[in-house]
Amino acid sequence: MTTRRDNALRAAALVLANLAAGALAAPAGAGEPAWSEKAIKRQIPPVTGRIAGASLEALAHEGRDLFEARFTDLDGAGRPNATQAIVPTATRRPAELDFQRLAGPDANACSSCHNEPVAGGAGSFVANAFVSEGFESANFDTLDAQFSNERGTNHLFGAGLIELLAREMSADLASQRRAALHAARQSGGAVRKPLSSKGVDFGRLTAFPDGSVDLSELSGVDDDLVVRPFSQKGVMTSIRQFSVNAMNQHHGMEAGERWGARWTGTADFDGDGHADELGPGEVSALVAFQATLAPPREEAPDDEAWVEAAARGRTVFRDIGCESCHRPALPLKSLRFEDPGPLDMAGTLRTGDVETPATYDLSTLEWAKRLPRNDAGEVLVPLFGDLKRHRIADSRTPRLGNETLAQRFVERDVFMTAELWGLADTAPYGHRGDITTLDAVIRAHGAEGEASGHAYAALPDADRSALIAWLKTLRVEE
Amino acid sequence: MGSRLKEDIPEGSARGTPLCPAGHLPRKGGDRQRWGSPLFLHRLRFLQSPTIGRGSGAGSISPLAGEMSGRTEGGATRTDVRQVFRLKRRVLSALVALLLAMPAVAAEPAPSPFSGDVPVLHEEAAAAGIDHVYGGPWEFFVGGGGAALDCNEDGFPDVFLAGGKGDGAFYVNRSRAGGRLAFEKAPQDLDPKDLQNVTGAYPLDIDQDGRQDLVLLRVGGNVLLKGLPGCRFEKANFAWHFDGGRAWTTAFSATFEPGMAYPTLAFGNYVDRAAPGSPWGTCADNVLIRPRQPAAAAPEPRVAAGAEPAPLPGAGGPDYSEPTALSPGYCALSMLFTDWDRSGQPSLRITNDRQYYRGGEEQLWRVEPGRAPRPYRKADGWQHLSIWGMGIAEGDVDNDGYPDYALTSMGDTKLQFLDREFEDAPTYRDEAYQRGATAHRPYVHDAGKPSTGWHAGFADFNNDTRLDLFIAKGNVEAMPDFAADDPDNLLMGGFDGRFTEVGDRAGIALPTKGRGALIADFNLDGAMDLLVVNRGQKASLFRNLGGKADFGERPLGNFVEVKLSQKGANRDAVGAKLAVKIGATTLNRTIQVGGGHASGTAGFVHVGVGTAERAEIRVQWPDGEWSHPYRVFADNFVLIDKGAVAARYWYPDAERPEPAEPATTAERN
Repeated sequence: MTTRRDNALRAAALVLANLAAGALAAPAGAGEPAWSEKAIKRQIPPVTGRIAGASLEALAHEGRDLFEARFTDLDGAGRPNATQAIVPTATRRPAELDFQRLAGPDANACSSCHNEPVAGGAGSFVANAFVSEGFESANFDTLDAQFSNERGTNHLFGAGLIELLAREMSADLASQRRAALHAARQSGGAVRKPLSSKGVDFGRLTAFPDGSVDLSELSGVDDDLVVRPFSQKGVMTSIRQFSVNAMNQHHGMEAGERWGARWTGTADFDGDGHADELGPGEVSALVAFQATLAPPREEAPDDEAWVEAAARGRTVFRDIGCESCHRPALPLKSLRFEDPGPLDMAGTLRTGDVETPATYDLSTLEWAKRLPRNDAGEVLVPLFGDLKRHRIADSRTPRLGNETLAQRFVERDVFMTAELWGLADTAPYGHRGDITTLDAVIRAHGAEGEASGHAYAALPDADRSALIAWLKTLRVEE
Repeated sequence: MGSRLKEDIPEGSARGTPLCPAGHLPRKGGDRQRWGSPLFLHRLRFLQSPTIGRGSGAGSISPLAGEMSGRTEGGATRTDVRQVFRLKRRVLSALVALLLAMPAVAAEPAPSPFSGDVPVLHEEAAAAGIDHVYGGPWEFFVGGGGAALDCNEDGFPDVFLAGGKGDGAFYVNRSRAGGRLAFEKAPQDLDPKDLQNVTGAYPLDIDQDGRQDLVLLRVGGNVLLKGLPGCRFEKANFAWHFDGGRAWTTAFSATFEPGMAYPTLAFGNYVDRAAPGSPWGTCADNVLIRPRQPAAAAPEPRVAAGAEPAPLPGAGGPDYSEPTALSPGYCALSMLFTDWDRSGQPSLRITNDRQYYRGGEEQLWRVEPGRAPRPYRKADGWQHLSIWGMGIAEGDVDNDGYPDYALTSMGDTKLQFLDREFEDAPTYRDEAYQRGATAHRPYVHDAGKPSTGWHAGFADFNNDTRLDLFIAKGNVEAMPDFAADDPDNLLMGGFDGRFTEVGDRAGIALPTKGRGALIADFNLDGAMDLLVVNRGQKASLFRNLGGKADFGERPLGNFVEVKLSQKGANRDAVGAKLAVKIGATTLNRTIQVGGGHASGTAGFVHVGVGTAERAEIRVQWPDGEWSHPYRVFADNFVLIDKGAVAARYWYPDAERPEPAEPATTAERN
């Protein structure tokens, strides 16, 4: 919902934004009339240069409007001739239904699902999405798990910090690979090196003098050593990539940067009569909105007993080994969020695709100033995660491995460590969103999480309760 | 896409009947053209154009049969040509009037403009240290090729360029990954005479020692060079019992036959200059040479990454002492072992120059293990086609799994697709016109004269998943009836199956006489670069800078580059097929030796994968076995060893020294 304060802020900020970063958006008067049935009221020009403070907030508001927009036929919603696949794929025959809960389009707005407790948040079970890896050309209409994986809707708070962490970690790993290859070429023999970043171990890599590498000992990261932090599976590189994917899958709103004529030969790939439904400016605004969402934080309860229990629970969390994956914080060197990002590939706008990329200076936002820093001046991002994938289910404890299909080369029982921040406001839990309590989801940890799960189960009732008390302090900042 | 295009082809067009089997206007009763077909209308428009009569090629896609002036012999006079044209114009004017009186024919839908990235190909031969000319008298009007191969095992393609009468030259690649191109001439301890009179070259690991060897096609005695460490070569004709012969060799291809330790070599020869009546009707036979050793005689493969090659066991090495004549020969200018029907048994396709043969045609030979080669004939479905065949390119343009072919000629290029209406028959339909790939006249400085095409090669120059077609163009020497200013073509493949000429926008529209070419990723940045050997002029070297943008260049689509290897014979898996699956699409490539025009490349196979971030690669190895899918991330180089569980990622040396700066600032990029 847009409030009067939002409108005032937007009006004021637009002036600043236009001055600081060139025209961000055409004036409302030049766009659609107020009663228009178009959800996109005005086109947003490409965003360039450093954008900070009020200008960034203004752009984020534009993005928020798009995030909450209920797209209509007049905007180009729907994709009769395109599937939900990430790679532009034509349907074998036009879709029979405009909306379809499985193959999609399955939502009117991003916020139709990402809405708890506020826009940008998580979704309850009814908002589950369906992932159909390997069935790009099928208009499947069954809930059978052999055709799709069903996933709960994640919240997006702190997404900008998550992506920045992943970028720095990817750069670290690439640098370590390069050093290992150099050492192998220099020595003339195989060189086996550990890979790690920000204290997170990603296994080993063996480099050979001929320039090849053995990746069989990698742990929790893709073979190209790119840390992909988004989605429950950890297979999406950036907010931008995810947004472009999701706009097509869930709404049939196709971004020109992937479905445009450059990569498909037509500006109206989905055949709904609308060309280039989302331009680079609109996608940038969506990115800015998500990247600037305040990170969740630990919030002290008013209740003294709860405070006391939470303090005990925090200790329990450490003592039973939860922190081995749910790292309390990861250090971040820079709060400068480049858009497009450095790791995106063709089909998502890349740095080289534009003359002047934009940089969102997150350090100028109010919430950034509250983030703790270490002695090196690095921001400590309190995500309670490690941005690494782990095997989380096995035959003894299978509940979190409730999928049948691998996704994007990642096996069915392997998932990204869930960041715990915001946990208190984003139930239900589990990848399918079908676990209603924290107690149950902790007990469901298997495989690499089995020891901690068992340790939790073996705790006295008071300690288990204390741990829940502390987890319930990880709140979304509204 | 393919099926959509086929549906677009109107009745009465070329389906089932070659529009122009001879690549020129009809000989008597031979080539038919139906009323109302696009090509017919197209030609009428030509004939109505004010350029009519200015040259023998004006108004036609191909030069006129029987009016073609000889390459070097003078040929028909301009007066003869004008007389024939006057007659034809009268007849055709009547036809035009008749056609205009007919009910309106449905207008052809305008092809959509090409909307993909136009690659910026920056010419930087001089700055890169390539200073090379192919030249010489009549014998060197054809040929002019080279080879791209990694001769020092650093992963970067090095280069050999034929010099014609002059010296052939080796260049070591000193480029850095993603950087400007840089080459350094590599002297060889070889008899200088062996590097002279070279028309072309193909790389191939002949002795299966893990290093690329080199086949030099020559005028008067072909040479096999064995690759040694550090981009050095030694002549191996004697060691490998190879008699280079005395022919004028202009084509080459190789395959590995089942059970054999070494490759089977095929040499294509041109005019037999010693035959009575030469050059007319005196084409020399071509030659097929099978190794005498079965696979058990092959040396042990080297297996450890980065290790030195295993030495040849004993006095091993191939024995090529028993050549077989492929007779008749029709003046081959390109040949290619190709598995046209995906049977796993490659046949030898040869494109021939009608200029000198009598009663000849394009050829396809069955080369079955242990049996004498046999040509496909009309009864087998092989249709008579007579063109000035100069080059062959193979690629799966329509992604149907079957190879398609581009054949260059004087005038229009052929673009052949297997006609599935004829079961198990090598029957092809030409879709060059429908797909906009005839490239029959220069796209700039068009004086109404036909082009002369030479090398052809398919590659994805913008990594959008669609194959593009490069054609080297250039006047034979000074033929007045053909375009003098005849720039090379870069035909970008579109998502509608059509091709669009972008040579001018890409930057390759130079006034050179192109011959052979090497399409390779010289700086290992995932974008295909281009080296063109020019006759009588310096070679051109184009670096692919990326897609043309308002602000300069932008990155192309995603890519993967793949190198295969297997143990035992045929280590580089010649004949293997790659099926690269991205989303619901499969892109196909084949490991081949041959084709083009006197030019070949070895090394990584490049596949543009567009917006795909990942790909699944399946390999059909030369023995027919399919691999499991190898999952790879895009924008990477991968090595796939037969039987391996996973593909190995490979990285160019990021610490390579910066190559020396160009001599003058003017040569800098």
